[in-house]
Amino acid sequence: METQSKAGDWRAFKRVLMPPVKDLHKLEVYEEHEGYAALREVLTTDKWDPTSVTNEMKKSGLKGRGGAGFPTGLKWSFMPPVDPDIPRFLCCNGDESEPGTFKDRQLMEYNPHLVLEGMLIAAYAMSIKTAFLYIRGEFADWITLMEGELEKAYAKGYVGQDIMGSGFSCEIVIHKGAGAYICGEESSLMESLEGKRAYPRIKPPFPAQKGVWGYPTTINNVESLACAPLIIRNGGDWYAGIGAEAHPGPVLYGISGHVNRPGVYEYPTGMLITDLIYEVAGGMRGGKKLKALIPGGSSTPILRADMIEGLTMDANSLRDAGSMMGTSGMLIMDEDTDIVAWLRRITHFYHHESCGQCTPCREGTGWLENIVTRIDEGEGNFRDLDLLLDLCTQMEGRTVCALADAAAWPVRYTIDRFRDEFEARCRPSLIPSGGVLENA
Amino acid sequence: MPTITIDNQNYEFEGRPRLLQFCLDNGVDLPHFCYHPSMSAPANCRQCLVDVGMPQMNRETRESNLDDDGNPIIQFMPKLQTSCSMDMTDGMVVKTHCSSDAVVRAQKDTLEFLLINHPLDCPICDQAGHCPLQNQAYKHGPESSRFEFQKVHKPKHVDLGPNVVLDAERCINCTRCIRFTSEISKSNQLTIIERGVKNYPMTPPGIEFDDPYSMNVIDICPVGALTSKEHRFGARVWEMSKTASISTVGSKGSNCYYWVKDNQIMKVTPRTNMSVNEYWLSDEERLDCDRFNKNRPTGPTVENAEVSWEMAYKAASDCLTGIDGSRALFVGSAYATVEDNYLLTKLATAVGAPTPVYLAHVEEGHADGWLKTDDRAPNSQGCERLGLHAADVKELKARITGGEVDVLYVLEDDIVAAGVCTAKQLKKVKVILHHYHTTNQTLPAADVALPAAMAVETVGSFVNGDLRAQRLRPAKSIAGVNRTLSMEIGKCRADAHGTPFDKWYNESNLVNCQPGWVSIPEIASRLGHEMQYKGPRNIMAELAESDSGFTGATYEAMGEFGVSLEPIGVTA
Ligand SMILES: Cc1cc2nc3c(=O)[nH]c(=O)nc-3n(C[C@H](O)[C@H](O)[C@H](O)COP(=O)(O)O)c2cc1C
Ligand code: SF4
Ligand code: SF4
Ligand code: FES
Repeated sequence: METQSKAGDWRAFKRVLMPPVKDLHKLEVYEEHEGYAALREVLTTDKWDPTSVTNEMKKSGLKGRGGAGFPTGLKWSFMPPVDPDIPRFLCCNGDESEPGTFKDRQLMEYNPHLVLEGMLIAAYAMSIKTAFLYIRGEFADWITLMEGELEKAYAKGYVGQDIMGSGFSCEIVIHKGAGAYICGEESSLMESLEGKRAYPRIKPPFPAQKGVWGYPTTINNVESLACAPLIIRNGGDWYAGIGAEAHPGPVLYGISGHVNRPGVYEYPTGMLITDLIYEVAGGMRGGKKLKALIPGGSSTPILRADMIEGLTMDANSLRDAGSMMGTSGMLIMDEDTDIVAWLRRITHFYHHESCGQCTPCREGTGWLENIVTRIDEGEGNFRDLDLLLDLCTQMEGRTVCALADAAAWPVRYTIDRFRDEFEARCRPSLIPSGGVLENA
Repeated sequence: MPTITIDNQNYEFEGRPRLLQFCLDNGVDLPHFCYHPSMSAPANCRQCLVDVGMPQMNRETRESNLDDDGNPIIQFMPKLQTSCSMDMTDGMVVKTHCSSDAVVRAQKDTLEFLLINHPLDCPICDQAGHCPLQNQAYKHGPESSRFEFQKVHKPKHVDLGPNVVLDAERCINCTRCIRFTSEISKSNQLTIIERGVKNYPMTPPGIEFDDPYSMNVIDICPVGALTSKEHRFGARVWEMSKTASISTVGSKGSNCYYWVKDNQIMKVTPRTNMSVNEYWLSDEERLDCDRFNKNRPTGPTVENAEVSWEMAYKAASDCLTGIDGSRALFVGSAYATVEDNYLLTKLATAVGAPTPVYLAHVEEGHADGWLKTDDRAPNSQGCERLGLHAADVKELKARITGGEVDVLYVLEDDIVAAGVCTAKQLKKVKVILHHYHTTNQTLPAADVALPAAMAVETVGSFVNGDLRAQRLRPAKSIAGVNRTLSMEIGKCRADAHGTPFDKWYNESNLVNCQPGWVSIPEIASRLGHEMQYKGPRNIMAELAESDSGFTGATYEAMGEFGVSLEPIGVTA
């Protein structure tokens, strides 16, 4: 099995996003460990200009860690040519609210200046003078922490006007999130930043064309941006050589659920799921058997234990297995897990968090929860299962943002992959699933 | 010219129209809720989904790849697209519900979703009968619902402001009302509160929805979530007839519909005219109903005693017989039509009196640069063009109180209320008055009082403050038979509700009044001056021909949307 891992000699992997350095969150300590060196190199040496920084990002092969896995360097290159009269913005997305995902918070707590430095390098690469760090509102302590560290970085001249005498200026503004999962969706994050209700926008126009206040904007996840200083320091090739070839880099695996040592672990991409569970996270709690897991946040399709043999944590292999990398927030469930009850909780989440803008999501998420709840309470019918799948079809791909998909997929794949458990809860139906729509 | 194929039919287009609007303009009836042509398209209702394809391009040659038959290969997008937010491009291929099962299914699905939490209280909903949700559910929706749970409950009959009431359960969250206050009226008085399926529109804390244009949200709301406090439960839509006419509370001449039930004006709604009011009406224009229904006279009077029209005309002509024309004062009216003022000037000339004047009704500071105007009368410009000028109230007062006036002829105005003189000061003057209301303060002094048809009961033209000549159409009937009015009612209303030939016809609330173009010629003919007109259409045709101020302003040319007149007598 070990041979199938794409993470190489992962036991020897040296952490770079969260290296084992005591008090690394303190600016002095960060400085001692090459802190802001990458920024200095970028700003003050001839080696770099905005294009070469972006090209280095492209070379690294970094794929966004916010969930969609979009190539970061490519995203940066979508920004239109600089027009001195038109402001441009960077948003660092720290709204982290997907169930099962808690790695950005850890990163901000453990290595805040790496995030700030990454934002500054990104701002330089895209000639941006204002960068926002949007942090989930419930992370009150982390907001305070980041604000304190930002102040220190300002005091040292790493942020603000004429950074390190380079002539490059960039302000960083920390924005407290508005307390909704949907604020993490990039276009509603921008609405929220503008002080509006966090309703996602239709795309096109994309943020690079019309972003915050209608100006060119790039949005990246906290972890994605934190990779930038590492890529500058060590080179894109170095980064591209870590982990799975088509989806490289160090990644923060947020492992939770029924394992002995839940937590955030930094390892290369392409780790075997079994290694992550049994080696990294210390194995199943109480020696129980694995029943299922979600690989990257609650919206990524659930995998049954029998589907993970030889499966690695990277986009291609998870896609082939019928799931996604998402945020690499892994939720591990043991044999005692009531999968119907689990799905009930998940449907409740999406029902609660749908912004309510589009019809299929607003109405569909609630209906899904209604039905799953009924099944969980033993009041469901066989036909409810078909109805659930039908409702998923009615939601998927028909909405403004991806939340409707994120809400439908857990239902679709959980029923698909654990149908017997659902059927065991249901009563046989006398009437088939309302045939109205079937012959449409 | 670029072309697009919609349901296998080719269309040419210019510019970059939005697909939904283009379909609607070309008779492809795509269902939709959140889209409104005047506002941004958030594409949130998801009802307008269509299948969109583009010709597959060869990367090198930049030309489209062809299939074996030489036709371009069309690559359809993986997901259905919202046509409201889709810019059209050359070569685009679109399948609507007319040619795609996937689109039929999507429309049905969205409607099923929209209806699960909708209260379906259509039997008591003001919107029923002209409800986009109801109509589209019938056309494109599922036959029944598979939803077996409690519907979401939300606040009902909430007063958002003085004129608009919300039933949040009926709301389908299209955000049209929100966008109206943020993009059109700019009052920003509405927002969506709560989240997800609990969402509904509300005013921010401590804010009242007192936007002077608030009631527009009632008609743009695609369901009955927003209703008029005034009109609520007043009449079902199928009990009313609607007539295309113009609003008369100011000099904007906003195009509107008057809704009538039992010969009463029930409500006023906007009629789209992109050159005047676009899609909107101010609340004051909308609430202009009561004055057409209340305090209306019951018939002509002489010396305050009700008489027949015959006797009234006789009495009026007696007052005008053998007078010293220079001591007669004719007051036209900015409330009356061009036609009636024109006839009045002719009558004045016939008895040797000077050209009539009219009373200006200006309220400084009322205008808002949009639909509200300082001039509170609809036809001041029409009067000016006929050579009537706004009276100097002081001078008028001096003439009347100074005993210089023997006969005073007032067309559809109230000189006592206008402060020209008191009723007492008119004791020695012979007063002939065409009036709308029994509350007219000049009425007690009138020797002859002739109830006049109001703007909703007559045929005629007004010239608005922007020099646009527009037609009035009769929305309700008056007592007695008048062929011109009956024909106009028949012509301008599909349902012809209100004519004696119509099964809906009823006798209630008919006001015993006459249009000026009936009563003035009657008086003139008794003075030996025949005014040979078949009706207001001919009067206007004559004016269009003979008076340079009205060139081109025939009824045919004015049609539904009016015509712009050339400025006259403007000195640079
Ligand atoms: C409903 C929803 C919630 C999201 N929440 C987050 C979030 O909390 N944090 C995040 O980084 N991205 C989130 N995303 C993804 C963002 O839209 C966006 O793709 C991401 O921030 C881009 O960063 P990346 O390219 O660095 O991955 C969310 C997406 C959706 C549809
Ligand atoms: S899909 Fe859901 S969350 Fe996303 S915009 Fe639509 S209603 Fe809001
Ligand atoms: S009240 Fe009407 S217009 Fe406003 S959001 Fe709801 S459905 Fe749309
Ligand atoms: S009309 Fe297009 S989504 Fe509502």
